[in-house]
Amino acid sequence: MQITEIFSSQLPVGETLSIKRSRFEPTQKKENLKRISIVSGTHGDELEGQYVIYLLASWLNKNQSLINGIIDLYPAVNALGIDSITRGFPLYEVDLNRAFPGGKEEYLPGQVVYALAQDVKGSDIAIDIHSSNIFLREIPQIRINKEFSEFTLPHAKELNCDFIWIHDAVTVLEATFSHTLNQMGTRTLVVEMGVGMRLTKEYGVQLLNGILNLMKKEGIILSDEVFEAREPFLSEVGEVFYINAPTSGLFVPELNHCAVISKNEKIGTIVNPLDGAILETIYAPSGGILFTLREYPIVYEGSLLARIFGNNDEKN
Amino acid sequence: MKKIEILRINSLNRAPLIVEGYLFEGSNPDAPTVAVVGAMEGKTILPLYTASKLVDFLKNSMSDSQNILGNILVIPSINHYALNINERFWPLDKTNLNTMFPGYAEGETTQRIAKRLFDAISGYTHGIILENREDLSTCFPYVRLFQSGYEDIKNAKKFGYKIVHHKELRPTDTVSLQYNWQLWGTKAYSVMCPNETQIDMNSSNEVLEGIISFLNKNKIIKYKVLNGYESTVVTKEDIEIVKTPKSGIFIPTKQIGSHVIKDETIGKIIHAIEGEVIHRILAPSNGVIACHYKNGLIFENAVAFRIIKNG
Repeated sequence: MQITEIFSSQLPVGETLSIKRSRFEPTQKKENLKRISIVSGTHGDELEGQYVIYLLASWLNKNQSLINGIIDLYPAVNALGIDSITRGFPLYEVDLNRAFPGGKEEYLPGQVVYALAQDVKGSDIAIDIHSSNIFLREIPQIRINKEFSEFTLPHAKELNCDFIWIHDAVTVLEATFSHTLNQMGTRTLVVEMGVGMRLTKEYGVQLLNGILNLMKKEGIILSDEVFEAREPFLSEVGEVFYINAPTSGLFVPELNHCAVISKNEKIGTIVNPLDGAILETIYAPSGGILFTLREYPIVYEGSLLARIFGNNDEKN
Repeated sequence: MKKIEILRINSLNRAPLIVEGYLFEGSNPDAPTVAVVGAMEGKTILPLYTASKLVDFLKNSMSDSQNILGNILVIPSINHYALNINERFWPLDKTNLNTMFPGYAEGETTQRIAKRLFDAISGYTHGIILENREDLSTCFPYVRLFQSGYEDIKNAKKFGYKIVHHKELRPTDTVSLQYNWQLWGTKAYSVMCPNETQIDMNSSNEVLEGIISFLNKNKIIKYKVLNGYESTVVTKEDIEIVKTPKSGIFIPTKQIGSHVIKDETIGKIIHAIEGEVIHRILAPSNGVIACHYKNGLIFENAVAFRIIKNG
């Protein structure tokens, strides 16, 4: 394993910003190896990917002889943000995942994403691991742009996630890592799972198995071990129902995340601690799986409380 | 003048956010109309101040209300919650209102705010958005127009600022107010204000006079006003970006608006610990300094100056 600095910049006061990549490859030189890149920490408040990459690096260290491709790991793209609990790039307040493709002549966040994109370029597959944010808890899921789904969907199905959400092309999302790399010819998948600022160990292990499964299928590792790849449900066979707060207050959930629920089941209440009033009771508009649930309890009118994947004949 | 409620959002622990607009009804129903949007972000002091002074001007300085010809709607502040606690974006989820347009009535909080605001300002002939630059620099006042296919450069010159920046459209600009306002038929202009934490009377007067000039020249008001500059339209090719190869303490030695000649020292970088000058920033060409970095500490390869090239 070799650690390389893909970007560095001298900060104003006695510190160097350094973005690092670790590379695992066969000890014997081989030709035409496939390459996979695993990226995380684009948002400084999302840490689930750090754990997955740790698990993967640990597995690769123990199984060096099984490596039959190039595996590049980028655990902390927004290194300053991660160490300061800052979602965007500190000081500039820029969402790095809206700053691609960046450029050498741009401001510092633009230089960082440019360096990343240029380094990942040429990979056969890239996986961009996101937690949700600090507000929502998500089941392990893959987000795929319809524009690239013909090539990315088969890989997504190998990743041992519970849900694959295929969404329409949106112009603003052209500034993301996944769009940029897909356009460069790297089949890029976005994973969303867990919650911001925390680790969900079981999800980390679940995704590790998926990544190993995908790498085995692609011949990047040679292993006799059978890695689990559960059958995900696809957004196209049902409907995603959004439940936004009808009023501001303190959201108290009644159900557990991932619960299978029935239509009109109570999801939670929005209350006012000052006077003890229940301001709103939230009911499910559809039966299905509660795959997103609000984690941060303070809500404003419009705050997302939950998402249900249900039957499309009950579209809200 | 009518004070109208544009939107209201309740909060669990803060007083409700009530956004109000000031509607000055024109005397001529055939005259063009304008809506002016002030502070959408916190930390945008000059947009807030300019919009509030525009309300004051229209209310107290127009001696004859008949001289207001077309309807004028001024909304000085949208994001009081951020302004009051020195946050830049929506304080709970840190989303940027100016990336939420045209908004969505059933969406997240800032999408709803954008939708209600957008509904209130739709249908005007002209739309003026008072903004700060999103990067860490300050500038002289200018108009920014996206190269969207809907822009009106001729009218943008009527503000009389030194430049109209005709800027390439990025994917993220497609969710901005300016772009969506134009898409829906309003001639929208972003007036870029100097990025200041305190009010500088010279620059704030320049911004306000530009808006009054625009209103007068478009026959929305009748008010004798001194002409400003004959604006120069500037594109990417006209702008020289001057970066610093060293990080440290940044001291600009030439002010915004200064004419500079090639190889003249315009700034310096001081070693943050040892105090010596570690880099002198030289003008790469003749021109006028339009922007410079505004913080005391500067990153390596950060943009220190933007110079509009002469010659």
